[in-house]
Amino acid sequence: MKKAKITIHGMHCASCALNIEKSLGKVPGVKNPKVSLMLKKGFAECEDSVSEEELKKAVKRAGYEAREVEFE
Amino acid sequence: MMKHKNHEMHGMKNMKEEGHSMDEHHHEAPVEDEEIDDWKRKLIGAWIFSIPVAFLMLSERIFGIRFFSMEYTTFLILAIGFPVLFIFGWSTIRGGIRGLFTFYFNMDSLIALGTLVAYFTGLFSLFFSIQDYSGVSAMIMAFYITGKYVEAKARGRASQEIKKLLELGAKKARIIKGNREIEVDISEIKIGDVLIVKPGEKIPTDGIVIKGESAIDESMVTGESLPVEKTKGSNVIGATINQDGVLYIKATKIGKDTFLAHIIKLVEEAQSEKVPIQVLADKITSVFVPSVLVLALLTFGGWIYFTSDLSRSIAASVSVLVIACPCALGLATPTALMVGSGMGAKRGILIRKGEAIQTIKNVKFVVFDKTGTITKGKPQVTNIISEVKENYLLEIAASIEKLSEHPIARAIVEKAEMKKYREVKGFKVLRGRGVEGKIGKSDVVIGNRTLMNEKKISFKDFETQISNLESEGKTIMIVAEKGKVIGIIAVADAIKEDSVLAIASLNRQGYETVMITGDNEKTAKAIAKEVGIKEVIANVLPEDKAKKVEELQKKNMVAFVGDGINDAPALKQSNVGIAMGTGTDIAIESGDLVLARGSLMGVVQAINLSKATFKKIKQNLFWAFAYNIIAIPVAVAGLLHPIVAEIAMALSSITVVTNANLLRRKKI
Repeated sequence: MKKAKITIHGMHCASCALNIEKSLGKVPGVKNPKVSLMLKKGFAECEDSVSEEELKKAVKRAGYEAREVEFE
Repeated sequence: MMKHKNHEMHGMKNMKEEGHSMDEHHHEAPVEDEEIDDWKRKLIGAWIFSIPVAFLMLSERIFGIRFFSMEYTTFLILAIGFPVLFIFGWSTIRGGIRGLFTFYFNMDSLIALGTLVAYFTGLFSLFFSIQDYSGVSAMIMAFYITGKYVEAKARGRASQEIKKLLELGAKKARIIKGNREIEVDISEIKIGDVLIVKPGEKIPTDGIVIKGESAIDESMVTGESLPVEKTKGSNVIGATINQDGVLYIKATKIGKDTFLAHIIKLVEEAQSEKVPIQVLADKITSVFVPSVLVLALLTFGGWIYFTSDLSRSIAASVSVLVIACPCALGLATPTALMVGSGMGAKRGILIRKGEAIQTIKNVKFVVFDKTGTITKGKPQVTNIISEVKENYLLEIAASIEKLSEHPIARAIVEKAEMKKYREVKGFKVLRGRGVEGKIGKSDVVIGNRTLMNEKKISFKDFETQISNLESEGKTIMIVAEKGKVIGIIAVADAIKEDSVLAIASLNRQGYETVMITGDNEKTAKAIAKEVGIKEVIANVLPEDKAKKVEELQKKNMVAFVGDGINDAPALKQSNVGIAMGTGTDIAIESGDLVLARGSLMGVVQAINLSKATFKKIKQNLFWAFAYNIIAIPVAVAGLLHPIVAEIAMALSSITVVTNANLLRRKKI
């Protein structure tokens, strides 16, 4: 398990944050995604197999841009 | 703060990369500024075109002045309005339409649909008999953009303290290499490096003073308002400001291990925590947009059915689309939480679990751990009653206690200040009772009454003295050699200066304050009386604290205040765990609220802040719900012009964010 922190661009309303949470939640191996509109960041617990690309894609699918992904 | 660049593998973290991270930290905050600038650009552009549109619309409709023929006016408005929608509003239109197809609906979907429908009425009006709302569409977009701009700015204000915190770290440091001072990037510091910090400079990273004396302003990190004196051996925190002396500091923690990095992590993670009251709002938000889309369709259908007036049907349904505002609902909690967290962070109070601010209002018992929470946690020897030479008593006691880790043992060793210790054989710690060992040929036992009774050592000659010392709040260690008491050592742990004030304040607010301790009843009661705590749970072994909390929970909700390291189970067991830091260390894992500073006034502030923040959230949610419950039916009824509807919508979310910002006025 690892923790991901995603810097997200383009969110401007609360449904945006929920949309991204929904989309991230659909990535296999991603648990408990939480997106903060205020920080413009998303946090999620991920299986080690989850790649940065998958997370970025999920954010994009919801219509937003993931600028940076950090794993910890 | 550790970061991985895109191409870097997980797990690789050398100094260089950590270096990157510090720099990158800078352009993290601008995501916000970039957004505000973006809205500002759109705002200016949108209004440049919308004002002529408004002029054309108003002159004709209100004053009846017509500069051009009707077709020509419509055509002109369509042309001038075009860039408002399709250039400055393009990201909204595109995002919104995309959302309609991908089922990731958001606010934009409503605005896009509303403005597009209105705009196309203009085109249709050239061919059919229909009211032209194209001008209205440009105005809606312009007001929407304006609302978003104001809202983004207000949101920026809401997060200003947190942003400051993120940028607080020092950027440069001066390392001493040989006799030279070299200026380096903060990321190049290694543990053990000696750094020189001049007056007015930021302490680059966590460390220990090895030379020099100074006062340090730690307020930005711990909330401690008075400068803290530092001398050789003192711990210093990175990002605090050296005030008047030159300090030589050995770096002890760097990068993501520093105090500041821990605080930032706590604060960031807490922002994405959900407050339970928000769950309902989130559920509504997630179905809000599709519901409003359906409602707009129904409104249109209803109007057509009952009035057969296409124009009025369109106006009503556009009003419904643009007046409905999921934003106010969605912003209610996070903005208030953000402002609350920021206010807390400034004072060294970290809200770690959003849930805690909701739970805390139901708490009845505030349970304090004694050592290190109410007291300073640094016991000192206060009285020695000796049957033998005092030096001999101390020598015996210190030699044995030297082997123990207990704070009381340390106090005795400190008091004895010996250069050489006697050899001890068969040393044993008797949990919660004392220690024993053999010095030379004599058995030595040091401990409390229980231990003496257990060893059948009589101490009745000392009973009165022991009793007196205990009623002064002192902890008694009986020292016995060869089965006979040779002396008594009394140890007291001074209470923190502001404990009395803090507990008085909690009592006044109607909380039942309770102290939990391993001390015996008498000592515990004396201390409790001194600080104003009414209820005492004494003789509790450390591992039983959680159990005692559980027992109290059968009566009512419990907040537990402890140091977060020894008290982790009790903190977890309680309804709200308040973990206290020591000023240089922070208990991160346990505790729903974390205090950076070891002052009990922080507990009072944390409780007040949590309550105030939660009240703000409730207020915001109330407004957001009330707004939508009233505004939507009014729009359905066709009582609002679409532009008025849009202005109302923009104001509703601005109101929520502004109201959250008003939390700052609350004194805590």
